[in-house]
Amino acid sequence: MILPIGPIHPGLKEPLRLKLQLEGEKVIKAEIDYGYVHRGIEKIMEGKTWQKSIYLAERICGICSYEHTQTFAETIEKISGVQAPPRAQYLRVITNELDRIQSHLLANSTFFKTLDHEVLFIHVLDMREYIMDAIELLTGNRVNMGWNVVGGVRMDADESHFKPILEKLDVVEERFPRVRELFAEGPAVALRNKNVGLMTKKEAILGRAVGPIGRASGIKKDYRHDHPTYQDYFDFKTIVRNEGDNYARTLTKFDEIPESISLIRQAIENMPKGDIRTPVNVKSGYAKWQGEAPRGEVAYHIETNGNLIKHISIRTPSIANIDSCAKFMLKDVASVSDAVSTYASADPCIACAERVSITDETGKTVNKDFFEVR
Amino acid sequence: MVLNTVKDIVRKSSIHVCIVNCGGCNGCDVELVALLSPRYDLEQYGIYVHNNPREADVLLVTGAVTEQWVTNLKRIYDKAPEPKIVVAVGNCPQSGDVFAQEGGKVHAPVSNFIPVDAAIPGCPPRPTEILSAILAVGPDAIAQRGREKK
Amino acid sequence: MSSLMWYIYDFARKAWVDGFANAKSKPEIVDMPSRFRNFPVVIKENCIGCGACTASCPSPHAIKLVRDEDTEEEEGKTYPVINQSSCIRCGFCAEVCPSEPKTLECGENHFILPEFNIIPSSRQYVVDDFLCIRCKKCIKACPVGAISVVDDRIVVNQLKCITCGDCVDVCKVNGAMKAVYLDNIQEQRKLIAFVVDTLEKFIESHKDDLRALEHNRLLQYEYPVSKLWNPILEFISDEEIAKEILVNAVTRLKIRVIDWNSEECKKCQLCIPDCPTKAISFDEKTDTIVRNEDKCLRCSICYQSCSFSVIKYFLAKFSMEVNDNNEEVISITVKTSPLISHIEEAVQ
Repeated sequence: MILPIGPIHPGLKEPLRLKLQLEGEKVIKAEIDYGYVHRGIEKIMEGKTWQKSIYLAERICGICSYEHTQTFAETIEKISGVQAPPRAQYLRVITNELDRIQSHLLANSTFFKTLDHEVLFIHVLDMREYIMDAIELLTGNRVNMGWNVVGGVRMDADESHFKPILEKLDVVEERFPRVRELFAEGPAVALRNKNVGLMTKKEAILGRAVGPIGRASGIKKDYRHDHPTYQDYFDFKTIVRNEGDNYARTLTKFDEIPESISLIRQAIENMPKGDIRTPVNVKSGYAKWQGEAPRGEVAYHIETNGNLIKHISIRTPSIANIDSCAKFMLKDVASVSDAVSTYASADPCIACAERVSITDETGKTVNKDFFEVR
Repeated sequence: MVLNTVKDIVRKSSIHVCIVNCGGCNGCDVELVALLSPRYDLEQYGIYVHNNPREADVLLVTGAVTEQWVTNLKRIYDKAPEPKIVVAVGNCPQSGDVFAQEGGKVHAPVSNFIPVDAAIPGCPPRPTEILSAILAVGPDAIAQRGREKK
Repeated sequence: MSSLMWYIYDFARKAWVDGFANAKSKPEIVDMPSRFRNFPVVIKENCIGCGACTASCPSPHAIKLVRDEDTEEEEGKTYPVINQSSCIRCGFCAEVCPSEPKTLECGENHFILPEFNIIPSSRQYVVDDFLCIRCKKCIKACPVGAISVVDDRIVVNQLKCITCGDCVDVCKVNGAMKAVYLDNIQEQRKLIAFVVDTLEKFIESHKDDLRALEHNRLLQYEYPVSKLWNPILEFISDEEIAKEILVNAVTRLKIRVIDWNSEECKKCQLCIPDCPTKAISFDEKTDTIVRNEDKCLRCSICYQSCSFSVIKYFLAKFSMEVNDNNEEVISITVKTSPLISHIEEAVQ
């Protein structure tokens, strides 16, 4: 039989329809229906100035809103042939990593919610609040930060901002090992996670899984290593696991948090002095650029016409991750509740993923499988 | 289970909430999830986020009504039992926010489709703003619709 | 096992007991950091009514400029009003506000250095150096001091310009200060080319009138705008913008028209080598001189080299007017080239 889940469902944050094909209790196959949150952001951006478009890029997704603005700004900087000053690049790293931590914590907490493990859910969510405080302190808003501009960052930060941020990171670092241990070594939790929602490396490559989802299946790819700022000034290691199950995916996200904290500490320690913004005279041209969002690779292709955006196309990590989740992870799952938690472990972000809507001749929206779209 | 029965008895007089994301950027939903954290602790006020429209007293609508929700929003609203109130969280359900421009595929505001009792402005509103708004309108509005006030 | 231990340990902690006993939100959760961008605060007194905030706002319905009613003592004040259900709290309006001190305050955004406050606008203000009479009225009118004299030329500093349009209002010379739309330059070019083509064809269609025209006499026509309107809207759908471009194109437009009566032509072929663009050629089949209109520069050299005064050369001027039937028309005035009178004077 076919069991539809969603678009409104206790286990899902965002509207999306999961069609599970069941045989008894067992899930054999899953299918995903998109199209509930397509807003047509790219079309709105066309013909708008870059100053306005950056706010639209921010509102592509509420969880990884920061990385979208940074990639957008860096693409326009590449077109115009300028680079943000070193201090701005360091400040961008701090905000980016804070955003990554909160996103991973949120993703894991929703995963624990679907597992019905409320203790971990509450503890992880409580840790996240400290990071949100740090973000609000630095940028002025909790979610849509409005922090990046083409050519640098909007506001400077000084000791009065760094000190509270470091204090909050201390709190998170102190609590973090216990929470991680509870998940990693708790026998009851592990039973529901290990060997559930398996995705091998081969399948992950086929499904083009990116970010922590791909890294949990053994694909060692982190776009931060290709990023000039991270490459030149920062030292961090990529977390790779080979199991490819829910357990590995959750633990990869957990293990990336200390790396991000250490990156923030490095950035604050070695913060260079100087300007935070350079004036940019945006040229006409075309450029593409990738960045590592909390969920994986974000790619922007922008064509500008002077100050105006002529054409823009955005590729977000979730579209590949959700599809590899439906194709490979939900292939052979023992029960429906496991299927929901597997879906949550793939860290889906629907608002990101809904970038295209495919219409048939009559103009009716038919969102098809990602694999057929190619 | 015994615990669940006890929970259910306690929750009987509380407000059940269902979050309906009809096409936003996800930011408001994240802030609603943050409300569950111990810092804000939504449940101490007797508010229980259940995400099931059939049991909901309050529908928290976020997002700017995309193509698919034009018909489905009314269906969800009809499924919730009376008495019910609708709270629009964030700017999207009120005005369409930045998406209500040329090229955007949104049909804001939500009040064109279902009656809205209260609205919380902000993009997104802070958790405390959402909390105070729900507490300000929630119990009274439900009492007005015939349910006993706690 | 460790998870069980963890639970026991957690329950035993004093903090947990305290938290359980008085579960209450701490008052500091309402505290906002100093940088928190709340809805912008409007300080009416400082507003200069430039409209920079509305031009820069990324949300379409968030800011409106309103004007109080005039009283007997003074004019009503103009100031922005924030629509809270649309405002995304980005603080960009506070950033770009050019007034001193700022009209809009939002978080710490209004402290950002003014040199980066580039207002996103679909228009760019440029001075036509050829027409500018350097009266410097625009410099006085500019509320932010973006216009200055550089090398004896009036220059608009695009980084400072807030695109309020005051300079265009005060400019005495029609067309000296231009507000150029940036987003659809290609379409604008097509539109203007289309209008010029249509008007030239219209004049050339009155061949008999042109050939009978004596010098020092005028030919006057009216071309209704409504005939142009539909094709124009195909290029640019926004009526207001299209209208403005049309008006700008037509006032100050001069077209030179070249015409000859091929029956009177003596086929001497003197004009062919003189043409700088090789636009004139001799068609042997039909035994006529042919002019390629796309190549022709309308430079009048052929007219000067024609020994038999067959080639005629006219100047046409245009202006937008409203005729007696209250419909908008382009009024066309055609006269013969002043060169004729010069030559005739010389002959006499």
